[in-house]
Amino acid sequence: MKSTKFSSIFSTFIFCYLFWILFTWTFTSQELITGAVVSFLVAVLTARFFIHQNAFHLFNPVRFFNLVLYIFVFLKELWKANVDVAKRALNPNLPINPGIVKVPVGLESEYGMSMLANSITLTPGTITMDITEENGKNYFYIHWIDVAEKDREKAGDAIKGTLENWIRRIWK
Amino acid sequence: MNSLIIVSIFYILLALALSYRVFKGPSAVDRVVAADSIDLLTVVALVLFSVFSKRAIYLDIALTIAILGFIGTLLISKYLEGKL
Amino acid sequence: MIYVAYIFMIIGCFFAFAGTVGVLRMPDAYCRMQSSTNIATLGTLGALLGGFIFSLTLKNTSMALKILFIAIFIIITNPVAGHAICKAAYKSGVKAEKLTCDDYGRDFPNE
Repeated sequence: MKSTKFSSIFSTFIFCYLFWILFTWTFTSQELITGAVVSFLVAVLTARFFIHQNAFHLFNPVRFFNLVLYIFVFLKELWKANVDVAKRALNPNLPINPGIVKVPVGLESEYGMSMLANSITLTPGTITMDITEENGKNYFYIHWIDVAEKDREKAGDAIKGTLENWIRRIWK
Repeated sequence: MNSLIIVSIFYILLALALSYRVFKGPSAVDRVVAADSIDLLTVVALVLFSVFSKRAIYLDIALTIAILGFIGTLLISKYLEGKL
Repeated sequence: MIYVAYIFMIIGCFFAFAGTVGVLRMPDAYCRMQSSTNIATLGTLGALLGGFIFSLTLKNTSMALKILFIAIFIIITNPVAGHAICKAAYKSGVKAEKLTCDDYGRDFPNE
């Protein structure tokens, strides 16, 4: 518990300090010292809202490499979904078939679920509406612009694709 | 160099077209969605203009608009949901 | 190098145009949200990456880093706003034109 607290404060401090340097972009000693003091205060006050589990979880090289690979996998999915929705919007007949489907999710950790939900929302054509838990299993409610499958498992495979397996390698 | 200004004018024209949805939109949600998109298009136009005029001050303005648009959208949606 | 920036900008223009047409044409609020995601992802990301490469060719590194940071910020914050506004639309009683299936309304009928 002690190490979790220290690591979360430390990583929040690094995060705030990077942002400070990026915003000011002057490297005099006064600016740097003021930035360090302010980011330390912000880190101590807000670390418990920002990071809940061990913050050094991601510094494992295998997980970090998977995270970098995930960005490229996600960009490919983003391109495919964007082209699909752009085609639907520019088609004179407007071929849409919207609906809200309930999809099971096999991830356990908070960060994994929020990462999957944000990835699904960021691809055009699907928006995550809500997350519920029933009998120890998590479900997403997803608004889908073209309901191809009404069955839960098949709809889940069509929406999530390979993203869920990639996220399981990063966050469990 | 002129291509930057042409692209940013194109984005501003798209933002003007979206303002039709802001005025007409049947419900508040339509207006919020269109206004959020206008925010993003304005951010892109400001960034391209700052590269054109080589002044970094427009980038700070663009960042502020992005942050304020995000906070405003979140605030209005929480209000509509009845949790505020 | 500069032609790569032009290609990115043209991609951004195309997707922003498609998203705008979608927001103006789609029949109900939820489908308009889907089209506005089109603007928020590749519509902004394409043009911002174009500006990033353009400012790199002008040897202006701090400006390029700030543009990259703005792009990352938009990518991180946009899904949060989309999720919140979709839930708010459902809870404030915005009706969809036609839904082929509505699992949320079946599971929570009183919202």
